[in-house]
Amino acid sequence: MARMKFICDAERCIECNGCVTACKNEHEVPWGVNRRRVVTINDGVPGERSMSVACMHCSDAPCMAVCPVDCFYRTDEGVVLHDKDLCIGCGYCFYACPFGAPQFPQAGAFGLRGKMDKCTFCAGGPEANSSEEEFRKYGRNRLAEGKLPLCAEVCSTKALLGGDADVLADIYRQRVLTRGKGAEIWGWSTAYGKPDAPAAAPAPSAGGKS
Amino acid sequence: MAYDMTVWRRLLCALLTLCALAFGPAFAADPPPTDQALRQQVQPLNNAPVWREVRSGEAHFTTVKGVETGVLIQSGGQTWRALRNGPITLYGGIVFSAMLVLLAVFFKLRGQIRLSEPKTGRLIQRFTTLERMSHWTMAISFCVLMVSGLIMLFGKHVLLPVFGYSLFAVVAMVCKNIHNFVGPVFILSVLLFIVLFVKDNVWQAIDALWIRKAGGLLSGEHVPSHRFNFGEKTWFWLGVVFLSLTVGASGLVLNFPNFEQGRAVMQTANLVHLIGGLIVMTLSLAHIYIGTLGMEGALEGMQTGYVDETWAKEHHELWYDAARQNQGMEQTPGGLSAPAAVRT
Repeated sequence: MARMKFICDAERCIECNGCVTACKNEHEVPWGVNRRRVVTINDGVPGERSMSVACMHCSDAPCMAVCPVDCFYRTDEGVVLHDKDLCIGCGYCFYACPFGAPQFPQAGAFGLRGKMDKCTFCAGGPEANSSEEEFRKYGRNRLAEGKLPLCAEVCSTKALLGGDADVLADIYRQRVLTRGKGAEIWGWSTAYGKPDAPAAAPAPSAGGKS
Repeated sequence: MAYDMTVWRRLLCALLTLCALAFGPAFAADPPPTDQALRQQVQPLNNAPVWREVRSGEAHFTTVKGVETGVLIQSGGQTWRALRNGPITLYGGIVFSAMLVLLAVFFKLRGQIRLSEPKTGRLIQRFTTLERMSHWTMAISFCVLMVSGLIMLFGKHVLLPVFGYSLFAVVAMVCKNIHNFVGPVFILSVLLFIVLFVKDNVWQAIDALWIRKAGGLLSGEHVPSHRFNFGEKTWFWLGVVFLSLTVGASGLVLNFPNFEQGRAVMQTANLVHLIGGLIVMTLSLAHIYIGTLGMEGALEGMQTGYVDETWAKEHHELWYDAARQNQGMEQTPGGLSAPAAVRT
């Protein structure tokens, strides 16, 4: 079974924010929430590099570990999803996540948090695939339609790739060979452990707990 | 002709000066080349300076609005997770449970601390209505916060396997909302309580005797004290003033994310909240025990505001003596350090 991952090639990203816009449009995400964002280092000066960032669907996901109601689950493709019917909006996943992926639409005064929302790797949630209910809560389930995440699919420079980690790694390896240097992939050691000591393949956990 | 030349020359001069004023500072403020720019001149495709920036946790440029959206990797969450899921949950749970067991064993061995002489039936005022109201507002909100807090920290390990996901999520959701709304009530009652009780909790010379005899807890001896003995004073300063205010303040940081505080602040506040909360909850068990099961006549003092003269004499002799001297004097409004009213 494929293990789904994202790669963002910092040598290719041109900060067009196409991935951000595509994601927001495809999933009709709540107001104030951006499941994906592009961050630019050395903006406007020589040495500028941009990177697209969203949930990385970590091997040892911190959000999953700290959730007090255990609402997260991992699909057999390694995608980390959560059940909004269980989420209590405590914000712990937001404290724990290194990438700033979990976000909360404001549900009341004083910043009261609603149900957490984050990137689903275009894989929906625990509801029936492609159901109206699933779309309303989690957005489009493209994986169920045999498609890959839209952010990566629309990327004009193919800086952002999403899909089977082995395939992505082969593509990236080819790029590194062509360039002759720069094998680092941003965020991968944080999300998937050091390449020297790969984290044990995590077991998928049951979805649809509610 | 000569006249025209001068005008043109003057105009040119003025223009040049303007240009110098307009562009001069811009040239001066030209930023130094970035580390990455320098690095890729000598080593093309070496992005090490950029990777350092990624790991730094600093905010960079992004068009997405929000708190810390410019940060790529915030590594503090990993530390927070390790501490919360590790030692805090484990040792916090052990210490809290150990206190329950300890108190049960103590009760079995020592039993209720009874009055050594029969009650006189004469009552003496120990707490005013305002004092009792501030105490019970604090006590009830504390217990609500304790139960909801414990469920949010340990419920995943203790209740979830019993309740199942759906029911436990409802319980936890109710707990979260109650915790968030009762918290500020608790803080206000703590502040009022401190104002009302601080005067009689200042340390006095007689406290040395209480410390030397360990409060007579084991010997059963009654150590004389003023209105509050050293044990009560310790609980006041440690439990109410220090721990409750610390836990309350850190709770406010977590309760109001609308002030746009960053993740690092919230991670630290949450650790302080957890550690302080677990300590104050564990200590509160001992206070609740001695105030209810552990000692005869203690609860009715806080319930009714009046204690029996025998109780006053045995537990707070110096306070009782002062009350006797003031007997017959009219009760003064506000906090009473020396009791006045005696009721039969």
